[in-house]
Amino acid sequence: MTRSPVFETFRYAAILLALAITLVPIIWMTSMAFKPVSEWQATGADLTWIPKRPTFENFRYLFGQSETTLIVALERTATKPILASLLSAGFGTLIAMGAGTAAAYGLSRFGSGGNLPLALIQLRLFPPMAVMIPVMMMWAFLSLMDTWWGLALIYGIVTLPFAFWLMKTFFDEMPREIEEAALVEGCTRLRVFLKITLPMMRAPLASATLFVFILNWSDYLIALLLTTRQWVTIPVYMSSLASSMTGQLYGAKAALGLIAAVPPVILGIMIQRHLVRGLTFGALKQ
Amino acid sequence: MAEITFRNVTKRYGDTLAVDDTSFTVADNEFFCLFGPPLSGKTTILRLILGLEVPDEGDILIDGRSVTRIGPAARNIAMVFQNLALFPHMTAEQNIRFPLAERRMAEAQIRARLADAAGKLHIGHILHKFPAQLSGGERQRVAIARALVRDPVAYLMDDPISALDARLREEARVELKRMQREAGRTLIYVTHDQEEAMSVADRMAILEHGRIRQVGAPVALYDGPASAYVAGLLGSPAINLLPPGLLPGARGDAVQVGVRPEDVTVTPGEGAVVTGVEPLGGYTVLTIEAEGQTLRAMLRGQPAYAPGQNVAIGADPGRMHFFGPGGDRLAG
Repeated sequence: MTRSPVFETFRYAAILLALAITLVPIIWMTSMAFKPVSEWQATGADLTWIPKRPTFENFRYLFGQSETTLIVALERTATKPILASLLSAGFGTLIAMGAGTAAAYGLSRFGSGGNLPLALIQLRLFPPMAVMIPVMMMWAFLSLMDTWWGLALIYGIVTLPFAFWLMKTFFDEMPREIEEAALVEGCTRLRVFLKITLPMMRAPLASATLFVFILNWSDYLIALLLTTRQWVTIPVYMSSLASSMTGQLYGAKAALGLIAAVPPVILGIMIQRHLVRGLTFGALKQ
Repeated sequence: MAEITFRNVTKRYGDTLAVDDTSFTVADNEFFCLFGPPLSGKTTILRLILGLEVPDEGDILIDGRSVTRIGPAARNIAMVFQNLALFPHMTAEQNIRFPLAERRMAEAQIRARLADAAGKLHIGHILHKFPAQLSGGERQRVAIARALVRDPVAYLMDDPISALDARLREEARVELKRMQREAGRTLIYVTHDQEEAMSVADRMAILEHGRIRQVGAPVALYDGPASAYVAGLLGSPAINLLPPGLLPGARGDAVQVGVRPEDVTVTPGEGAVVTGVEPLGGYTVLTIEAEGQTLRAMLRGQPAYAPGQNVAIGADPGRMHFFGPGGDRLAG
């Protein structure tokens, strides 16, 4: 099929627009992260796309190595918020994927927990805000306030429905004969799951894990309500990068944003191979 | 080395009766075919034998011992699934090794068995490939090798060669029959192809709606169908089921008279008209209309009949099958 030049022009215009919408903020953030104060505070004609005097000053500032060019000294460095984000999002993802995968497998294969799908959907219908006040009280009672493990627990609970629904779809799609073949060949149920089902589910597990991790990683609201000082996460910490004297510290925020983008990107690259792979790739006759 | 017996087995899925109060025995070393239209319960019977399904009523015995409550792993039966069910994340070799490795067999022994099975099925050159990289026929061979490689008491196969084209299928079924003889094991084989069933089976069971209608040697079923249903399933072209008045010599109390196309005699004359001629070389199939009925006749060679020609039809009463009300064969 040959397309008309008009159509092609529109097509490329649409692609360029989409690219601009997604990439320009990232480019701007990257550029800003390497600008000295004078440049990221610049307005109007002084705006530059590429830093004239690139510097690591913003990064040094975040980690308390600054030579005071940013006027205010930091109350605390970015090290611990980064750690808090990694721990809470990481373990939260583990909880959601572990419980979600187990529940999805049980429901898909044995029909156990018949009301679970609906119950989990209802959990998602609540805006998190609606339940956060009770959760705060419970967490306070359980001494889980301002801890990364308390945060990981609520992240695991909030993203559990996503993990469950994604994995259930994948389990439902897997032909039951493959597991039955393994049963007939002498496996126990547990061995079937470990030797056949899980390896076949690598690709779906990888993509669901990435999805859930990004949800947890980018949370702001829950962390804002459940942490105060010790274990604030990157998004909460980022909002504190301002002062009455200097206003918003955009350079430092951009540098932190750049750092925050690293884990999802690394995770994405690590599992990229699985993301593009098909599910059953030719086990069956069809 | 296994005799498999069903004793009044019933299996329901919700309101559907998949297997309805069924009893039969498959003898040791027998090539036994389950044959019937789709959804007649063939696959469910295999799943019951494997232990993947538990019967709602009745008992399943292997060598006289009830296995009704025993899990699939302990029954030691090998299965080739209809969709083959190869493990997609394992190479052909790993697939075939799997049943042996699961039974903790010694590596040397595994290798010997693997080489043996690969040799029998001519798949030595594709062992390193993944199922996705294999053709349909190759996958089929790998699946059969995975079943052959261990030493089960019986093999079950659910239409394993249906994906092959007609020519390869003919070769494959001869090969299967030979392998079953060499292995000296019971083989229960599901197929929906009557020619395939008749050509390989020692005995076959004809199913309808979860019930076994008749069991016997293929030729015995062909020559002595217990009902019009069984008669209609076997033979190609299908048997002519006609009202009793159409052919001279039919019993008066019959509701239907069955005549195989090869038993219809056609002579120049009156009473019927040829409406179609299919010359097949060795045989010619005529479609004939008589008194508003359509029937088929299969004649040897290439007789010179043309559409529109008037003919007389008949049949040897000794070759006719008489069915009473409800389609059951009349006694005598």
